[in-house]
Amino acid sequence: MRDDSARDEFFIGWQAEGPPRTMRFVRARVLWWIALALGVAVLAAISQRPFASSNFEFGAVRTFEGVLEHVPFPVLVVDRPAADPAGPSTSRWLLTVFGKRGAEPHTRPFDGARVRLKGSLIHRDDAVMVELLPETLAVLEERSARADDASAATPITLRGEIVDSKCFLGVMKPGNLKTHRACAARCISGGVPPVLLVRDESGRATYFLLVGPAGEAVNERVLPYVAEPIEVTGSVSTRGDLRILRADPEAFRRL
Amino acid sequence: MGHSYQAVQWNPNKKRYDALLLVSVVLYLGVFLGVGFVWFPEATAETLLLRALGTAGFLALHVILCIGPLARLDRRWLPLLYNRRHLGVTMATLGLLHGGLALLQFHGFGDVSAFESLFTSNPRWGSLAQFPFQPLGAAALVILVLMAATSHDFWLANLTAPVWKALHMLVYVAYGLLVMHVALGALQVESSPIPLVLLGVGILTVGGLQVLAARKDRQVDGEIGVSPGSDTGWIDVCAIGEIEDGRARLVLASGERIAIFRDGDRYSALSAVCQHQNGPLGEGRIVDGLAVCPWHGFQYRPKCGRSPEPFQEVVPTFPLKIVEERLWLDPTPLPLGDESGSTSGGGIRA
Repeated sequence: MRDDSARDEFFIGWQAEGPPRTMRFVRARVLWWIALALGVAVLAAISQRPFASSNFEFGAVRTFEGVLEHVPFPVLVVDRPAADPAGPSTSRWLLTVFGKRGAEPHTRPFDGARVRLKGSLIHRDDAVMVELLPETLAVLEERSARADDASAATPITLRGEIVDSKCFLGVMKPGNLKTHRACAARCISGGVPPVLLVRDESGRATYFLLVGPAGEAVNERVLPYVAEPIEVTGSVSTRGDLRILRADPEAFRRL
Repeated sequence: MGHSYQAVQWNPNKKRYDALLLVSVVLYLGVFLGVGFVWFPEATAETLLLRALGTAGFLALHVILCIGPLARLDRRWLPLLYNRRHLGVTMATLGLLHGGLALLQFHGFGDVSAFESLFTSNPRWGSLAQFPFQPLGAAALVILVLMAATSHDFWLANLTAPVWKALHMLVYVAYGLLVMHVALGALQVESSPIPLVLLGVGILTVGGLQVLAARKDRQVDGEIGVSPGSDTGWIDVCAIGEIEDGRARLVLASGERIAIFRDGDRYSALSAVCQHQNGPLGEGRIVDGLAVCPWHGFQYRPKCGRSPEPFQEVVPTFPLKIVEERLWLDPTPLPLGDESGSTSGGGIRA
């Protein structure tokens, strides 16, 4: 029922109590507003894009052993459990350090050595990265035999999105698309390996470590293209379970 | 009203308002986080918190922008207008937390400072689809925090009312920037239509209420607009007794709203614009012999337009006369504080 008598009341804010009918009117509508706001909270929460089933074991420090390689980004070549005898015997795990930084300044002196290190796992699908604690790097063997498992390069044109491997593999959710662009640019600029994320028609993702034509790091040159749909022409090769895409950023094409 | 400046002049209403506001914010954040974690077990806490804070602040801004026009359309909403400052400060705080967390998460711990990164990490200023949306949010946040920081009457008095009012009208610029921040950011990556629908409903609600309130103001101006009734500039307002006791009749003369208050058999003409925040003094009432603004309760003596001591506010007064049982107004203001304008209708009955 409409309470028009409240319109004749006069509210003065600094008085201890407001006019009763006016305050009843306000209370009823404020309660409705709160209910509406909670409805908005539910709708906003459930309408988010699904989150990836990636993981960053933040705070969980483990010990790892393997051979350090630079491709040119540091990777730890670890022995792979022999679940599939026909599969590769090693895995290459990308390395990073705390923050939006690459691990290369810390690992370069130990290139080719067998090392023990501590860090936290970051993983998504079959890709693994370790956020290492640089002070824990310890050499077990100065020169270790390098696995000769590189394939020949094949020309290829791919369409996808450049992401920073650290966030995309699990540190951030989402770790791609426009809302993550600034973070991806910061990470790649800081030395985190850039990756070209390519999805097939079913949405299954494949990752390609993105380097220059001569296998050099091109982080600064890919920054203008991060988090946008692009087409990349280059050559792809594998190193164990790592896919490496060599391409000249000059030839990147925005879609 | 208060003479000395205090952070908050508490009264029971204000305490209830703030308690309800705090509970509402906590409930909103709790529901967003709780539902988010149940619906998306893979979600990370920092992303959900960032989004909970952002949506809560943006929703609060919508409420703030609706309260003004609602109070113009129906005075029963005035209790919410009186306490709107607290909602504004809360909204700015939510925005700061959202912005701070985003700055830390997306721009912190990198090879350049977070603030430099905010403006340089996305260089695609020439593309609408890729336009950097985060600087838009940062610009809005600067405005909202500036408004929150200067929301106290201390700043109103020291910045002067026109500067203060101009600064606080920037809330509409901030709202526009935030709409762009959301449209060019979150909306571009979400796959559900719900966020777009929510934003559309929000814009239509705020815009619709502003249009309705503006239309009502224009209607009021049309109804109260009068022409000079003689060569001398005096305006024939109405018959004495047509104005309800304790209230005012509005007159629009030379583009200025003038309020003619009746207190018993005495009539006084004051500027209808409150000196405090340009509130609609003409929609106020006479309480304890003083004209009271409905927005924040600022008081003026009807005869001279001065606030009771020790307050310093003064509104212009205008000459009134009664000729043959009708009220006549001269829209030329008297010197500030002049008491000669009011007139007595002696023995009038409404």
